[in-house]
Amino acid sequence: MIALVTGGAGGIGRGICARLVADGYTVIAADLSRSDVRDTEPQVLDVADPDSRRAAVARADELGGVDLLVNCAGALQDARITKLEPAVFRRLMEINLLGPLALTRLVAVGMAARGRGSIVNIASRAWLGTFGSTAYSTAKGGLVGATRSLALELGRCGITVNAVAPGFVDTPMTEGLPAEIRRRTLAAIPVGRAGTPEDVADAVAFLAGAGYVTGQVLVACGGRSIGDPYAV
Amino acid sequence: MTTSVAISVRGDGALADAVRSALLMTVPADTAAVIVPRVPEPAPLAELTDEHLAAEVGDALDAVLADVQAALPVARLVFVLPADPVMGISGGAAASAVTNAVLSMARTLAIELARDGTSVNVLAVGSTTALQAQLAALLGEGGRDITGQEVYLTGGTDLGRVHP
Repeated sequence: MIALVTGGAGGIGRGICARLVADGYTVIAADLSRSDVRDTEPQVLDVADPDSRRAAVARADELGGVDLLVNCAGALQDARITKLEPAVFRRLMEINLLGPLALTRLVAVGMAARGRGSIVNIASRAWLGTFGSTAYSTAKGGLVGATRSLALELGRCGITVNAVAPGFVDTPMTEGLPAEIRRRTLAAIPVGRAGTPEDVADAVAFLAGAGYVTGQVLVACGGRSIGDPYAV
Repeated sequence: MTTSVAISVRGDGALADAVRSALLMTVPADTAAVIVPRVPEPAPLAELTDEHLAAEVGDALDAVLADVQAALPVARLVFVLPADPVMGISGGAAASAVTNAVLSMARTLAIELARDGTSVNVLAVGSTTALQAQLAALLGEGGRDITGQEVYLTGGTDLGRVHP
């Protein structure tokens, strides 16, 4: 079984790659930089670049075709709505939404021909709304919406399409958070700790093998999304 | 003393004419903007080429951002979306991407703009018969403290489904 994981060199992506290797997948870890996860096939990928996307899928096809696509590559740049630059907004749409949809189109052809496949989109709890993050939230909401319609369209081709919406996860991206914001964030998480890449990988691994679950969003947030996210 | 307040309608979505008609009878309690995003026509995944996605999803969302930024500051912000792609529809991946992107934008703006006294809500429209009454409710005196809500004007066709 071949898994193509975008963002495979990032904090969450590395955790997903390692889990899928352990589960027996041949994992293509695709990212701007080379992934250091053991036993993966590294592949340079700029998810916002059409040629780069085609090259990554061609590589996977050489290995036998993609059975599992994990759209994990993403970018975050916060700005309040009045300060949000249109170019930044568009860039975040290209990386977080348009790129994943374009990759999905490329891999769905082979999946449909084989009559099986699984697509897992890494969305975000920000899909439910989050202060100061209009662009990121918008893009992740779009990804959730597409997940639902694609599940309806591709179900009879043997392809499931789901999303994982992680909450606060300890990664290099969140290391630089000011201590007070980190403290307040952790205080609002019912399980009392930050998530780990392995927590997200658990959700991905489940959805990857769950043939009767499709069009769903699995929120992996330590319960924050059912409590008051701003509780301190 | 009574002062007249303005409602602006922005966006060239298919529901824009219905929104304008509905607003003819509406007296807003405060400044208001209603945004009606352009939503892609249904198309199977195979037709969602890079160019199609850039134009139909990317450009459509750029336009929504521009409309929102042009409308601010405003006291009441309402997004009007077609209900079917919000809920999900086979062959509607691009339309669902746009409508659900706007749904999440509205959720974030509701949180972010609350401190400025701006309410932000979404009407997901299946039938336009209830549009006038719902817009009047959200833009009227009683709508001041309603924010971050999503109302499905579908006559119940969305019942029994998981909402996004």
